[in-house]
Amino acid sequence: MVAMSTAEAAATPRQRRRSRAGRLLLLLPVAVLYGLLMLAPIAFIVKTSFSAGLEHYRGVLATPVLWRVIENTAVISATTTLVALVLAYAYAAALWRAKPILRVVLLGLVLLPFWTGVLVKNFAWAALLQDNGVILDILRGLGFDTGGLSLLHNRFAVIVGMVHYVLPYAVLPIYVTLIAIDWHLVRAAQSLGASFPRAVWNVILPLSLPGVLAAGLLVFIVSTGFFITPIILGSPRDMMIANLVDFYAHQIVDFGGAAALAMLVIAGVSVLVIAYQRVPKEGQYGSL
Amino acid sequence: MSFKIRGVSRRRFLSEAALGAAALSALGAGKGFAGDGAVNFACYGGSYNDNITKAFLESFEKKTGIKVSLGADASLALAKLQASVDPAQWDIVELTGPEYEVAVKQDLLLPLDTGLVPASKVPAEYKGTHGIKYALFLFVMAWDRRAIPDEKAPKSWADFWDTAKYPGKRSLSANIGDGSALEAALLADGVALNKLYPLDVDRAFKSLERLGKGNIIWHNTNQEPIQQLTSGEVALASSFNGRVIPAQRSGAKIGFTPEYGGVSGDYLGVAKTSGNAQNAFKLIDYLISDDEASAEYIKLTTYTSVNADALKLVAPELADTLPTSPKLKGKVFIKDDAWWATNLEKTLLQFKQWQLA
Repeated sequence: MVAMSTAEAAATPRQRRRSRAGRLLLLLPVAVLYGLLMLAPIAFIVKTSFSAGLEHYRGVLATPVLWRVIENTAVISATTTLVALVLAYAYAAALWRAKPILRVVLLGLVLLPFWTGVLVKNFAWAALLQDNGVILDILRGLGFDTGGLSLLHNRFAVIVGMVHYVLPYAVLPIYVTLIAIDWHLVRAAQSLGASFPRAVWNVILPLSLPGVLAAGLLVFIVSTGFFITPIILGSPRDMMIANLVDFYAHQIVDFGGAAALAMLVIAGVSVLVIAYQRVPKEGQYGSL
Repeated sequence: MSFKIRGVSRRRFLSEAALGAAALSALGAGKGFAGDGAVNFACYGGSYNDNITKAFLESFEKKTGIKVSLGADASLALAKLQASVDPAQWDIVELTGPEYEVAVKQDLLLPLDTGLVPASKVPAEYKGTHGIKYALFLFVMAWDRRAIPDEKAPKSWADFWDTAKYPGKRSLSANIGDGSALEAALLADGVALNKLYPLDVDRAFKSLERLGKGNIIWHNTNQEPIQQLTSGEVALASSFNGRVIPAQRSGAKIGFTPEYGGVSGDYLGVAKTSGNAQNAFKLIDYLISDDEASAEYIKLTTYTSVNADALKLVAPELADTLPTSPKLKGKVFIKDDAWWATNLEKTLLQFKQWQLA
């Protein structure tokens, strides 16, 4: 550091300019990638959404189904987040305390969904959950009366499919927070007379909360954007916001309305993303 | 794509990609794709495209030297995007009847060049000012013959609605502008075939409620009901003749009746900003005037070509199952494109609201 700043101080302004230009050049691929593939399409959506002044926004906000769809999106995403966090916490804790070989296996298992296409996962769940599918067949085989029980084409199935998809997003942040916690703290608590559950409750859990919060926000943000899972696993009543954008663009072919709705979604999710950026990250608490 | 006779649901994603690609080309990134003489024809995709290639495109390219590239996911949305790009990425876009009417109203298509497309073999009712209704489909009720023996097969939509006679769920098309769930609901409620239009939408919803929201699985693509029937997920489903018959040919135990079905058709039109309009019209003309190619199309797809002369080349057993069979006169309804075009947006929103309630 010291050597570099001396060198920089010794450089002529011209050289300094050139090295800065060089650094900016390194950013070019990123700028092209983001500019062409992200910012330009978003600019196009912004333009389309305002193509009739505020009329498209007014139209979308007056749609009777909008609030129902927003409610669906919030409730489904929140439930998914809650279920995923509980499962992920237990899994991350097991990962943390596992022996190295088992840890590799467990880590592989949690990453597996990342390498599987979302359609494959959804159709697999549909095959498992349908009325004459594996799960109900097994239950009937065990002598249970499944009666009119339906596992597919309802909210339950949507949440199952979504939890499966988002689980890695929940496990990894929690796991990273947990491994930063010094296990000696548990020993210390026990030496002061705390039982093991009490040590976990009073020491581990508070120290891992930032990871849980980060995981929760990340999972919630990812959940709000689901599109295909409500179609394949849900009923029409489980329509989410992305499906409503699709409905505007494809079915009633109102591009302005679709763009305005997309802008509202971007605005809503941006608030969550900003909150996510402000969550204290792992390593700030409990680590050495 | 949403109210088209579509195959796999993957198309939904592909169509998102197509929208994105069209948006990019609107920004000037995709120019040069069109206008080089080759005709870009946006069609359904899947096995339907294979059949179009086999029946028409191979011989068309040989005879005229004009190359055709066939795409998937034609829809009103795609047609509308073409109008914002010059030259259009897709020269020909396939549209359902109601979509075609809307496209004409919104000025998305070139007027039909009657010099290049005389359409002399096509009955007048299939000729539009901006396109030709080139193929006809039959919306039908279908059932799983393993679950419902032939002697107990449903004969009307009232039977289809009868949950005491046939317990379990039914699969209906969520794309009400293409599939005819509302028409079926009204027929089940006792409305006569020739009194369907203007649709009494509220009565249709009440009829669907009588069947029970919990007894309906809504399918979004047109191969879904076939999958649901063969997997045993449902015993009854609405489908199209061109989906059921190929499934039967490949061994599926699915029954269907053309009676109380609905006849609808798709239009071909040329995008207003096409850089290739001449060749595009030549292709449309070939699709409706070459008798042998049209007959081959009928055999492969079991849909009807509007080329009247081609029907003479088709075996009578097949002709009887076609939407245009004289035996079906008075036993099927004709989907009213004009009513749907006028009421499409309103009815789709009403339906969505009803589904969510």
